[in-house]
Parts: sequence; structure tokens; C-alpha cells
Amino acid sequence: MSAIRPLCVAALGLFVCVPAVLSQIPRDPTPVVSKTSPEDVATGKKLYEATCSRCHGLDAGGSDGPSLQGAPERLGDEAMGGIIRGGIPGTGMNGFGSLSAEETGQVIGYLRTLGHTADTEIAKGDVTKGKSVYEASGCAGCHIISGEGGGVGPELTRVGAMRGPSYLRTALLTPGTNLPQEAGAMERGRFTQFLFVHVVTKDGHSVDGTRVSEDSFTIEIKDATGHFHAFNKLDVQRIEKIPGKSVMPSFKDTLSAPQLDDLVAYLASLKGAQ
Amino acid sequence: MRAIRFVLALLALAAALPAFGQVPYQRVVKSDSEPANWLTYGGNYYDQRFSGLKQLTPQNVAGLKLAWAYQPTRPAGNVETSPIVVDGIMYVTDPPSTVTALDAHTGNKLWTWSPILKNVVAIGLFQTNRGVAVLDHRVYVATIDAHLVALDATTGAVIWNIVVADNKMGYAITAAPLAIDGKILIGTGGSEAAVRGFLDCYDAATGKRLWRIWTVPAPGEPDAETWGDSVPAGGTTWNAGAYDPKLNLIYWGTGNPAPDWNGDGRPGDNLYTCALLAIDPEAGKIKWFFQFSPHETHDWDSSEPPVLFDDVVQGKPRKLLGFANRNGFYYVLDRATGEFIAGAPYVKETWAKGLDAKGRPIPIPNSDPSPEGTLVYPSITGAINWTSNSYSPITKLFYVDAREMGSYFVKGTTTKWEMGKFPMGAGGERALSGDDAYGAIRALEATTGKMKWEFRLHSPSWVGTLATAGGLVFSGTDEGNFFALDAVTGKPLWDINLGSSLRSNPVTFSAGGRQYVFVTAGTTYFVFGLP
Repeated sequence: MSAIRPLCVAALGLFVCVPAVLSQIPRDPTPVVSKTSPEDVATGKKLYEATCSRCHGLDAGGSDGPSLQGAPERLGDEAMGGIIRGGIPGTGMNGFGSLSAEETGQVIGYLRTLGHTADTEIAKGDVTKGKSVYEASGCAGCHIISGEGGGVGPELTRVGAMRGPSYLRTALLTPGTNLPQEAGAMERGRFTQFLFVHVVTKDGHSVDGTRVSEDSFTIEIKDATGHFHAFNKLDVQRIEKIPGKSVMPSFKDTLSAPQLDDLVAYLASLKGAQ
Repeated sequence: MRAIRFVLALLALAAALPAFGQVPYQRVVKSDSEPANWLTYGGNYYDQRFSGLKQLTPQNVAGLKLAWAYQPTRPAGNVETSPIVVDGIMYVTDPPSTVTALDAHTGNKLWTWSPILKNVVAIGLFQTNRGVAVLDHRVYVATIDAHLVALDATTGAVIWNIVVADNKMGYAITAAPLAIDGKILIGTGGSEAAVRGFLDCYDAATGKRLWRIWTVPAPGEPDAETWGDSVPAGGTTWNAGAYDPKLNLIYWGTGNPAPDWNGDGRPGDNLYTCALLAIDPEAGKIKWFFQFSPHETHDWDSSEPPVLFDDVVQGKPRKLLGFANRNGFYYVLDRATGEFIAGAPYVKETWAKGLDAKGRPIPIPNSDPSPEGTLVYPSITGAINWTSNSYSPITKLFYVDAREMGSYFVKGTTTKWEMGKFPMGAGGERALSGDDAYGAIRALEATTGKMKWEFRLHSPSWVGTLATAGGLVFSGTDEGNFFALDAVTGKPLWDINLGSSLRSNPVTFSAGGRQYVFVTAGTTYFVFGLP
């Protein structure tokens, strides 16, 4: 590393966030590739904490800026590298053009270690049998895999890249206990995704569903059949948000232990394509 | 006859064209007498963000419609601008440091000016701009690379352009200047770059510097003993100030000491960081100061805009100053003397048991950042951040845009920062954001801080408040809502979702006999009025 290259430094700042931004510095043209060796991840962590943490949180779970957990998996190295070094015009995300391609790859490599429970645990079931269990249990009515299925619950195309067998097993037995917290559709902060909401209108009618979006005046939920319901908060009797509850049924009593193992193995095998 | 028609036509044309108004100092002093205009960053020298306009009321505000919208060509960052409106002309900025004059009736662009920026260093702050100052026939803007520029109000031509401080060292400016009688005041950001904070005063006509007040001492100077053996750094004056023309005192808040989340290397109160300074603008001297957060370690700058107002306390008329601090407390000071009059938390705070008789916080042990993270309320971004509060002399309420959020504060591993650079291992936060946080517009009794009402928001916002004589309070949300509340009860009266986060203080003005309300959302500038 050249001693005279400006150090791209951190962002723990006054008002909001934003790190050391040394704009308009010619960017290293080398393509950005994730660096995932333990040494690279350790360096990436330091660079992340110095440069990105003020807006995105020390654990990249989001603060004033969105959560970055899972972002490299969703966007890929090239797009992540472009955003990190080029910024997003019209937003608070400035470009960090002074980061080299290698350093950017180290930051992305570090981010790839976050937000996963897809650890070293090996699923013990049979993937092929698990696919049959998935199809026979009606899962596709609510979940999408590779473009097929319903959109009530989270898409599962890449769930095995993000979630390990123990997380998946818990989700099948007690849905709602480990809901993901991501910026997601919400612009900032770590909001609970698929939060169960019970709305009672002024005429006593009630609707259950998962939160799709919310602001200070409105809330929109999706019911178990996939229908959307929008409410003006001032016009309803009450809104109850119930963390831990889910519109998804538990499969504790409907699947045998081997079926459960197979289904977990199948889900854990879903790594998807970027 | 033809000549008369021609003259009449000329007069009609002149009436239709926007007039570039002259704004002598005395006109700004009496700004409350012309509520059609918005003549300073905070609406008047008292920074009250209160307008005397009454056309919009709780009865008719639900009829607000979009009058016009404007989009800057290529805004480079968050839009956080607050415009000035003079006689039908709006002077507004977009990031990083562009100034544009718009016809306030139509939103049509009249002129625009941008600085030439190269290799900008912005450490710990967004590359944005919060607004301009006007005086006589000039518009004054400070730039992200720490210049102060005087522009011709009619053409946007540069009259003078001077360097306030060295941007390479981390000095950068996002705030609007303050223009008083023949003088322009401006501070800078940069505490996270370990710069030494100051407030500058320049001759409005020439740009010559008249004085500089350092906010932290050099080693060996008086008050340096409040820093242990460290080299004092930080205390930057990066937001707007207020002014009392009768007392002839300027009020300006100062930022955090550096390094931030590790105070081990700077034992003591670290004067004058996280404080309010009352300054004599003629002498360039500090008349009094009040330190809100001695030895600050949570990044709770005290740079929030102070609000000046007059009221009766214990039977005596007093000249007061209200201050909603990032540290979670609302303070009332005597603005002539700096005497502490009242103080109370306006959000959940877990770092102080309260304030003593002189307003000094009584810290709760073990609320400093730690290596593993210490959960403290409010969060690093504070109970409020850079946005402005408002005060209505009619309701005598102080309207604050409160942020209810906590953080795990992680202690930095370094006790020394190098100027112009940001050290690795500085520390920071793991914020309890999302569903663990919320925001609220709160109406506080201005002389005590006692809450009269609140309107809850889905998340902590970055918008500030605007109060009007018509009985309304305007604000917005991070989810894109722009809304009006009843100033007396807090009841919501009107709202619209503008599709992107609001990140600027709203203002109101009148043009062609119609009252308008301005706000930005995302990178679009919106103006609403009655049809």
C-alpha cells in the first residue's frame, strides 16, 4: 500500500454518518472480487468499521443507512463494488473512491460473513425426499423458489445460502420466532420483516396478515391468501403488532421426524443463482 | 395614447416579473412584520421558525394541493436545504454547495451557481448544504470545501470568495451563514477529523475576516487544564446560530470533543465543547457560556439551533433561550446572563439522573461506551440531530422533532486522533433501530420543558418543525409523510406521502397573496398551497 495514497478513513461523525469521503480521486480500475480469507475478512472488518459503520451500524444491521447483511449475496461483487466506490447519487451514500479494489473486496468479504446462520452444520436429511415433502406440504402456495410459487412468505430460492439447518428447523416448528430484521422495503433501520399484524376496524371487522409497509399514517398488510389490505391508522379501532406470531402454520404435528429432516436438507440445499 | 398603453404594459410586465429585493439589516431585524418573507435560516434572528401567516388554518389545511415542484439537476447527496424567500424570490441550495434562485410563485429557475470542487475531504458529515443568508443585495453561502462566498442576488455572480479553513485538514461547511449588521458569521464541521473548532466573523462587503473565536484552547492557554495533557480538538460550530439585536449577542452551539467515544486521553470538562456560546459580535469575545455535556463521550454535539423567546418566569419577564439538546434534555437559559432556569428530559435518557441546580448533568455510573457496548438512550444520532425546532409566541410551546432510540455504545481503542484523518478503531454504535425505535413531534411548555402533547412517528425523523400563527405545526417523516398538526392539541389535520424521505426543515411564505409551505423529499423540492 502506497504511503501517499490518502487513507480512506472512518465515518463516526457528527450529525449523521458519513465517513471520510475523498471524492473525485481516480478509482482503481481493477474489478472488485470478494476477498474471503480470514486475513482479508479481518482487514475488511477494520475497514468496514472505520468507513461504513457510522451509517450502517457496527454489525452492518442498519442504522441511518440500510442493513448491509446479505447485500453482497443479493447484489454480487461488481454491483457492491460500484456502490461502495461510486456512491448512490441523490442519497447520503457517498462514494469511497480512495478504497482500492482489493480493500473494497475485503469489505465485501467481511460483509459476506454477516447475517448468516448458514454455518458449518450439515443437514442430515435427504434433499430429494425433502423436495417431495416441500411439494406435498403445500409450501409452494406461499413461497417462491426459482420463480415458482406464491409470494405470501419469504422467497426461498437462496435460503440455504443465508440460513443454516437449525434456523430452518426452528422456522418450520415455531414460525415467527426468528423473523429476519432488515432494512428491506423500509428505507432505514432494522425493521422486523413478516411481522404479524392484527387490525380491528372501527366497525369491528378484523384482518390478520404480515406487514408489507408502514409509515406514521398508514399500514399495509398481506393476508394468508396473498391479498393486500391498506389501513389509515387514524381510521381503525386498533392495530396490534405481535412479534413471534406468524401466518405460517407450524409443521410440528404434520410432519414426521424424518420428513422434517428431509425438508430441512432440501431447504438448506437451495443456494440459488445470483 | 399608445405611449400610455406602452407604459401600462411595462408596469404590468414589471409586476409580473419577480423582484429581487433589497434586504438591509433593519429589515431582517423587523422580519416578523413581513411574514410573507422568510429572511433568515430560522425565519427570524430568534431562530423560532415561526411564521405570522394565517391563511392556512386547522379548518382549511386539509385542502392543501401541490403548487409546484423543483428538481435540482444533479444533487450529489442528501438534500437538507432550508430556503430563504424575499419578495417572491426563493434562494435555495442543493448538495454539495449549489445555490439557485427560483421564482417563488412558479418554481422557475432564475439563476444557479456552483463552486468548483476538487478532492473534497468530508469526515464525519454528509456532503450537503442547509441554506444561505441574505443581506442587502447579496446572497451568502458556505461551501463543503470550507469557502465563504458572496453572490449578487440578481445574477448569482460571485462578488467575493474566501477560504474559511483548510478542507484538507477536515474542515468542511454544511451550515447556513448568519448575516447581521455588516457582518457574516460562519462555523465549520470537522470534529471527527480532530480539527480545532472556531466561529468566524467576516466583513459583509469585502469578505475580510474581522475576528475568530476558537472554541477549544491551544495547549497552555486558559482552559487547557480541562483537557488533561491532550491537545484540545473538536468543538466545531457546524450548525446555525441565533442573534438578539437588542442585547447584541450571538448564540452558537459547539460540537463534541475529539476523540469521541473514548475520553480517557482528555480528562476534564473539555471546554468549550458541547456548549452554548454567547458572543459579542463587535468585540469578538465570549460573554458567557453554558456547557450542556461536560467531558462528552457519546457524540452528542450541542450544535442544535438555539431558539430565543421572551416570557414570564416566576412573575418576572425574562429574555430566554430554549435548547433541545442531543443528550435528551431540554434547557431554558436566561439569554442575557447564561443563568440556568429549567431543564428536563424530553425523551427517554439513561445516562444522567438529572440536572443539578446549575444545569450540570448528574451522570449515571457506567453509562460511558465500553469495549463490549453499553446500552444507552438516546442513540449516537441523539434525541434530535441537526434539524431545527420551532416556538410559537401564541401557544408559548416549543415544538421538537424527538428521536426515541437507544444504542450500544462501543468504546474506541484510540485516545488520539490525527487531524484530517479518521483513525481506525474509533468506536461507534450498534443502534436499536427499526421496530425498537420511534419518533415523535412533541410540544413542550417553553419555560419548563413539560410535555403538553405528542404525535408519534413510525421512526425517528430528520425534518424539524415549523409553527404558524394560523395554528399549525408542519413536519415530516423518514417514510415520506409531510403533515400538519394542530398547534394547540397535536391532532393530525393533513398528510401526504411524497415518496421519499424528508430531510429538511419546512418553511412557509406568501407570494401573490397565497400562503405556501415548502419542504423537500428525496431530491425533489415541493411547494403546497390552497387551490
